[in-house]
Amino acid sequence: MASALIRKALISNPNGFRKAIGLFYNANRNHWNYQYKPGPYPRTPEERAAAAKKYGLTIEEYQPYPEDMCYGDYPRLPDIGTDSKDPYYPYDYPDLKRNFNEPIHARQEIFGEDRYDISMRPRFPLWYQWMWFLGVVGGSFALYLFLEDYKFGRPVTAKQYPQEGPHYLFCAK
Amino acid sequence: MGQILGSYNARNVDLYMDDKPTFNHQDGFSFERKQREMIAREEDLISARIPPVKRDYCAHYLLEYQQCRYKNMPMLYRCAHEKHDYLNCEQQDYVLRMKEFERERRLRVRERRLVGVA
Repeated sequence: MASALIRKALISNPNGFRKAIGLFYNANRNHWNYQYKPGPYPRTPEERAAAAKKYGLTIEEYQPYPEDMCYGDYPRLPDIGTDSKDPYYPYDYPDLKRNFNEPIHARQEIFGEDRYDISMRPRFPLWYQWMWFLGVVGGSFALYLFLEDYKFGRPVTAKQYPQEGPHYLFCAK
Repeated sequence: MGQILGSYNARNVDLYMDDKPTFNHQDGFSFERKQREMIAREEDLISARIPPVKRDYCAHYLLEYQQCRYKNMPMLYRCAHEKHDYLNCEQQDYVLRMKEFERERRLRVRERRLVGVA
């Protein structure tokens, strides 16, 4: 598999040896999905310490998800959306606002800058937004109900059609 | 502005837009009123497929206008005079309706005054 990938990369782009080095490196490190899986749920303090070390956290910081959520020993990190992170900090990966070896939140795929910011601080509180929404809509409706009795039309009688009996002009015969 | 206030105050005598006149057509006139006459024939209007809402007292102008359109298609600017005649007739029809409204309002005000006195 790895040799086939390297051959393909070299043949399709003979000048791209630099890319081949990257491929070669990744293939040799054997990074496959099953190796990203978290370990079993930590029960003893020693297991917790080992898990904290594995994810690069201190023991005080480390906190696993409840066991029935089936995240194993994966750490429960604070819910901070990427959009809420400091944009002026010199991150190692500025596009992701992430540092090297920084643990990734279990739901990071939804917390990206292009998706959802769970820790967003709204500019206006919710009660304020509701107050204005209900004030405008309710106020308009109240005005509509109030003005229901004050409607008026144009000062004309019904249109005259010949079959609806004789009609008369305002001049003498 | 004036016409809006006129129709707004007409509610005092329970008169609204598109109501029908209720008084005798000769009330308040010293002369005998001329009756409106329908010039276009119903069969012609049906034949020309004029919709019922347009079969009013101006229908003969509309008929002429449509004939002109039919003859001159697509040179419709040649029917400008026919169209003008038709729209003028419709405008006069509207003025007549406004006059009827005002007459109805005044007669109702007068009736109310007479009843109040009596």
